[in-house]
Amino acid sequence: MEKIKQNPIVKKIGINRIVLCGVLILMYAIFCMLSDKFAGIQRIMSALNYAYFLGFLSLGVTFVIATGGIDFSIGPVMFCSALISGYCLTSYGVPLVVSLIISILVGMLFGVFNGYLVAYWTVPPFIISMASMNIAKGLASVFTKTQSVSWPQSADANGWYRNFIKIGNFPVGLVIFIVFAVICSIILNQTKAGRYILSLGSNKEAVRLSGVNVKKWEMLAYVICGTLVGIAAIFFVAAYTTVQPGYGDTYNNEAIAGCVMGGTSMAGGLASISGTVIGVFVIALLQEGILALGFSKDYQLIITGIIVIVAVYADVATRRRKN
Amino acid sequence: MGDIILTMKDIDKSFPGVHALDHVNFEVRKGEVHALMGENGAGKSTLMKVLTGIYTKDSGSIVYEGKEVEFHTTREAQDAGVVIVHQELNMLGHLTVAQNIFIGREFKKGIGIDDKKMNEEAAKLFEKLHIDIDPAETMSNLTVGKQQMCEIAKAISHEAKVIIFDEPSAALTEAEIEELFKIIRDLRKQQIGIVYISHRMDEIKVITDRVTVMRDGTYVGTLITKDCTKDDIINMMVGRVIYEDPKTQSSVPKNAPVVLKVENLNAGRMVQDVSFELHKGEILGFSGLMGAGRTETARAIFGADPKTSGNIYINGQKVEINSPQDAVKCGIGYLSEDRKRFGIVVQKSVAENSTMAALENFVSGLFINKKSENKIAQEYVESLATKTPSVDQLVVNLSGGNQQKVVIAKWLIRNCDILIFDEPTRGIDVGAKNEIYKLMNRLAEEGKSIIMISSEMTEILRMSDRIVVMCEGKKTGEIGIEEASQETIMNMATREI
Repeated sequence: MEKIKQNPIVKKIGINRIVLCGVLILMYAIFCMLSDKFAGIQRIMSALNYAYFLGFLSLGVTFVIATGGIDFSIGPVMFCSALISGYCLTSYGVPLVVSLIISILVGMLFGVFNGYLVAYWTVPPFIISMASMNIAKGLASVFTKTQSVSWPQSADANGWYRNFIKIGNFPVGLVIFIVFAVICSIILNQTKAGRYILSLGSNKEAVRLSGVNVKKWEMLAYVICGTLVGIAAIFFVAAYTTVQPGYGDTYNNEAIAGCVMGGTSMAGGLASISGTVIGVFVIALLQEGILALGFSKDYQLIITGIIVIVAVYADVATRRRKN
Repeated sequence: MGDIILTMKDIDKSFPGVHALDHVNFEVRKGEVHALMGENGAGKSTLMKVLTGIYTKDSGSIVYEGKEVEFHTTREAQDAGVVIVHQELNMLGHLTVAQNIFIGREFKKGIGIDDKKMNEEAAKLFEKLHIDIDPAETMSNLTVGKQQMCEIAKAISHEAKVIIFDEPSAALTEAEIEELFKIIRDLRKQQIGIVYISHRMDEIKVITDRVTVMRDGTYVGTLITKDCTKDDIINMMVGRVIYEDPKTQSSVPKNAPVVLKVENLNAGRMVQDVSFELHKGEILGFSGLMGAGRTETARAIFGADPKTSGNIYINGQKVEINSPQDAVKCGIGYLSEDRKRFGIVVQKSVAENSTMAALENFVSGLFINKKSENKIAQEYVESLATKTPSVDQLVVNLSGGNQQKVVIAKWLIRNCDILIFDEPTRGIDVGAKNEIYKLMNRLAEEGKSIIMISSEMTEILRMSDRIVVMCEGKKTGEIGIEEASQETIMNMATREI
């Protein structure tokens, strides 16, 4: 085992991600064995639909967790974005392009709000994001007068936004998602912003005493997160059309699970975008498998809950061993 | 003075790499106030921690009330009647006075707590001590002085026979100290043995009967207070032989320009009206005992903590420093005494830590230019002789001395001309220490100006061109290396204002 760990290729990719890939393949094999309807393009496309929006949430929250923070508002904010922009589109006749921009803006504004309070008022992110989760839910309900919003079908004049996820059977969404993941990875690993975000997640005071404006960079992580949440909203409606006010919190856990499974540390300072991507695929496949086997969504809640606990415990345990 | 109540004999205690107590002797008699003195790191606190069961001794014996004892926890020591009144008060602000005094051993009434009985018992204690405090008052409403008296009452409530006061007067006003002394005299009359740890020479003369002096973990001697002078005590505290050559004269030319001038700096209780000048190419030593306010002064100058007033001039220009960002822009770099917390980001590499303060110089377009980053980090690894397999190594894997060099590299890469070194050799082995010294001398020769805060007298005398001495938040002296000696510095560091 030690020998495998020391192998340069394994070291470069990371043992954690290799194991996670194995889990992904194994899960797929098991689901195919248990359900004869599982194999085939349809299920995979369906799992991918789930992976897109969840993937953007997960990418976003990776930045926040890298600072040592947390954001429990991402799911509801995604719904809030989809509801407000959708309502603008369907009830006020706002052009589709503008609606899509509104969706991203709403997410971004929540990011600004969370980030400002966390970084400049130094309120614990746990509390702030819990509060803004409720604000997002309430705001969406008020704006839509507590009605669900249905985005246009693909056959409609305004239906072209659905091409973001697929054209025919070609998974456009997968391409877009991977492109964004690569951009996120570059931001995190090759820019000043990413360097400071990771460093302050590891030791904020040392970074501050190096003369770095830590507040600015900490806030930026939340803004990046919010923006990606706004994009997630577009992929959600492109896959599932209808959004209902008052929901969205279950996706928090799934997005965070994808992130920590991939090797991002809840203590901050360590983050892996490629890990997050694989983690998201695991969660998406899991949800598809559970549905295919005829279990209710509730089982998925239980399993993702357990995954979060196990992944975080694994992180804590490795840290303890290193110390 | 009565019979001996406590004898500590040949107490020995080692920590990894440190011989903290080297066959130390100490005794306390009934009804005496026995001062325990020594510089920082002399072993006073360690000795008291061994006595009260926080540390286990390696060898030696403790005889208490005629029996050999060994306490394993502070609770055991308390139950036997040996209690310590800490410098930092361990009180819960939201509870009442009585609740604090009886915490952990509350009087019960059924399943509830009998507050009435606790108040009565506390009132009895205060009466015995002639203290006027309402037991039902909330602790946070009391002054620091009154809170300290509650600590003492708590100690007495354990039927204490030996009470240790660890720098009890540090946070008290004149009037409160008077009151404290009245109580201590009262306790003395009741035949309680009292250990009094303090740096304040004048208090020692006023309140204590005997003085035991420790130095570098060894027992130096015990004196009768009324028969000795302040100088006698100081000589015992510092009377070590200095092996390394102390600097005999300043290497700074007389006409060297002033690069940093601090004027009437104030920041809380620990920095009061501090003024000094730093010349180009100078190593300015900051000496003083623990809690003298040296680190606080450095942090206030660097903008790490807010200051209440004062002016800072760099090269004659007045500057506003309100954050470390401002300070770094002014060319000031700060090496913290606590590297792990304030100096390095342990999960990042040598290269990443080295460029932390000057990252904008290594960004081309949107991206960090890792090549140039690695190149400069490598240059400094070589010029500072940092021992690391590569610049990609995480700093967590480096030794203390090498981590320190990475922090120094960080400020040199930022091109800082004024460097504040706060305890630069703390926790570093002897070989690495000498390297850091050489490096500091080299930097000074190259025209960098250095403020060196150090609690080690030998380090101060070996490195400084000039020495500023602080005591309890105030500057109490300034002296050129030509006139400086351990005695003169210690005299200033313990001066009563």
